[in-house]
Amino acid sequence: MDLRLTADQQQFRRDVRELLGEDSVKADAARAFQLAPDIEPGMPDVYRRIGERGWLAVNWPAEYGGLGKSIAHKAILTEELIAHGVPDIFHTLSIDIVGLAILVFGTQEQKARWLPGLARAQSVGCVLFTEPAVGSDLAALTTSAEPEAGGWRLRGRKTFSMKAHMADFGLCAARTSPSDVKYHGITVFILPMHTPGVLAKPILSMSDERFGDVTLAGPLMTPADVLGEVDQGWEVIGRLLTIERTGIELEARGRRILDTLIERACADGTLASSPYGERLVELDALLRAGRLLSWRAVSSIAAESADAVHGAIAKWHTSETAHDIAALATDMCGLTAALEARDDDAPPGWLIESTIRDAPGFTLASGTSEMMLSMIASSALGLYK
Amino acid sequence: MLVSLSDAQREIQSHFAELLNGELIPGIRRMGEMPRDAGADEVADLTAARAAVWRALVDLGATRLLLPSELGGSESGQEGAVILAELLGAALYTGPLLDTMIAAELLVNSGDGEKARIAEIAEGAAICVSARESDADSYARPGPIKVSGNGEAISATRRFAGFVPDSRYLLVAGNDQSRHRAALIRRDDPAVSSRRMHDTARGELYAISLSCAPVLSWLDGRSGYCASWPQAVTNARIRHAAYLVGLCQGALDLTVGRVTQRRQFGQVLGRFQVPAFRLAELTARLDAARWLVRAAAWEADNGHDTRLHAAQALAMAADLTAVTTRAAVQYHGAYGTTLESDVRLYFLRAQIERVWLGAPRDLRKEVVPLLAETHANVTG
Repeated sequence: MDLRLTADQQQFRRDVRELLGEDSVKADAARAFQLAPDIEPGMPDVYRRIGERGWLAVNWPAEYGGLGKSIAHKAILTEELIAHGVPDIFHTLSIDIVGLAILVFGTQEQKARWLPGLARAQSVGCVLFTEPAVGSDLAALTTSAEPEAGGWRLRGRKTFSMKAHMADFGLCAARTSPSDVKYHGITVFILPMHTPGVLAKPILSMSDERFGDVTLAGPLMTPADVLGEVDQGWEVIGRLLTIERTGIELEARGRRILDTLIERACADGTLASSPYGERLVELDALLRAGRLLSWRAVSSIAAESADAVHGAIAKWHTSETAHDIAALATDMCGLTAALEARDDDAPPGWLIESTIRDAPGFTLASGTSEMMLSMIASSALGLYK
Repeated sequence: MLVSLSDAQREIQSHFAELLNGELIPGIRRMGEMPRDAGADEVADLTAARAAVWRALVDLGATRLLLPSELGGSESGQEGAVILAELLGAALYTGPLLDTMIAAELLVNSGDGEKARIAEIAEGAAICVSARESDADSYARPGPIKVSGNGEAISATRRFAGFVPDSRYLLVAGNDQSRHRAALIRRDDPAVSSRRMHDTARGELYAISLSCAPVLSWLDGRSGYCASWPQAVTNARIRHAAYLVGLCQGALDLTVGRVTQRRQFGQVLGRFQVPAFRLAELTARLDAARWLVRAAAWEADNGHDTRLHAAQALAMAADLTAVTTRAAVQYHGAYGTTLESDVRLYFLRAQIERVWLGAPRDLRKEVVPLLAETHANVTG
């Protein structure tokens, strides 16, 4: 164990902090939280500045817009974006999930076509896996890829796809071959969202960041659009779900809220004079433990020995803790917790209210808590055999 | 940031595994409990078993882990000690090793005059640490001691002291005018008397009476007071948290074994979602506590102020010990409460070990000011 960052990682953190600490960036970040409820925040301007420096996908090779650094650098960027109040969803989605899948499974042509745009924040990727009747049981998907001369036509509907209505392309899972085993016969396609036959619209939810609902009315996919192997899509999905789960962003979100609560409790004296002090000590410990689990997952990905159970444990722990912190915020802040950031009486930079709305998503997105427990029970404990 | 075991930690893990991770574990678990109706032969057998395990631990270098190399130690630091403590907890080892480690740290801080005593520890002399006159006292706030006018003897009453007969020395920690003192006393001195207390785990807890007992030395007592006692307690909390993590793992392992064998309503218990999810949740929480403890050990070895993190780690491990051992008995069913079942040993031992160095709520309350201080340093 070594809890220190390397000199290079420390320098990277300082550089990122310097950029994110600029007044214009702070103002940009604050605006995202002060929009009217019917306006969805887009990609913050600072993303392009981060992308120009090669930092957005800092762990990718230079030819694809990165700097060839480690995944630890990428984790540092995630921590800093969130610590500075910059919405991280585009980074998580485009770089951590979609881009990483193309980096791992894509052909040279696919990487050259799609990755530089993501790394420069010039395009957005999304994930088109789940469907209205599928939920967490992804292998039950029914979207079909019907063979046709030169490729396949996609027919079906994808839902709960974060930012799909804003995306330039998506990773779309569809059934290419019938099989008695539901995990067989699935193929993942790289689907340009502006292809004829693709209709994406936002789903309104209580969160500021919206899901997309995508109808696939026969867009044509060619062999050049297949990510990985035909009929072997479950391998791509499984690997993707493993490497996307480090919990880094959940721990960082929990930390930002917890630090806000500690700061308020120090200022108004409740830290020392109420039972909240002990609860804050407890949650601080849980959060730090979660950070260790997240960095263990990062360490194992860096060593190319990603462990699905480690990822599941990190995701479960950080998401549940972040949710608990959001719940404590309501207790500690009273009715002020319910004030939107744009309300005149909300404290400056107020993010408690939006976090409370986002909190249910912590334990639902990227694998529900129940899916994580199921994975731990089966893979770590050997139950369900 | 690298969150994984170091090579040295892996070496310690495998080094002690032969004793603490094999067929001997059921015997080690049982040696900590003195049956209510034990006859003289059984008492002798259990005492001999404890002595044999102690000897094996000493031979494997357990008492040398925290000692400097020039005094025959392996300088494994807290990072090494927590790995051994995890194994001890999983095996439900009970004995004077963790107390002896506290004493060893204080002796090392006491200067050259204690070299001979440190050598005794390295060779297997056990030391019992006693700090409580009543259960209102704690290691952080030891009970009172009365020091003779010339400073050469003490009088005190101590309760809840572990493994007194197994120890060569007593380390009596006390409060004297709001300052810490730590006196080393020969256990077999005529001025020392003890009686075995009857505790729920039927272990080796003793009440001690010291009446003008001669002090062999005042540990780290150059100023007359033990300046390094608070740090010794902080380090002890880290090691004890590791012991609790191990205890939880031992109880969890037994329980997973049970639910994968026991059939109910036509299928094994572990296939039902409620117990499966509960055990998965405990596994995740245990993993979190384990790394928090290991991180605190790393910080201790790397010069950080670990008072906050040690208390947090111990409180988390202690909370987990309560819920894990409770769930462990629950999923064993009524069988888990019988003398035949070993899971009962984890449950009963947990009642003592989880509050041994402070109840979770007290620990958290103690470090609330440190949280504010740390937060101010980070954000300031």
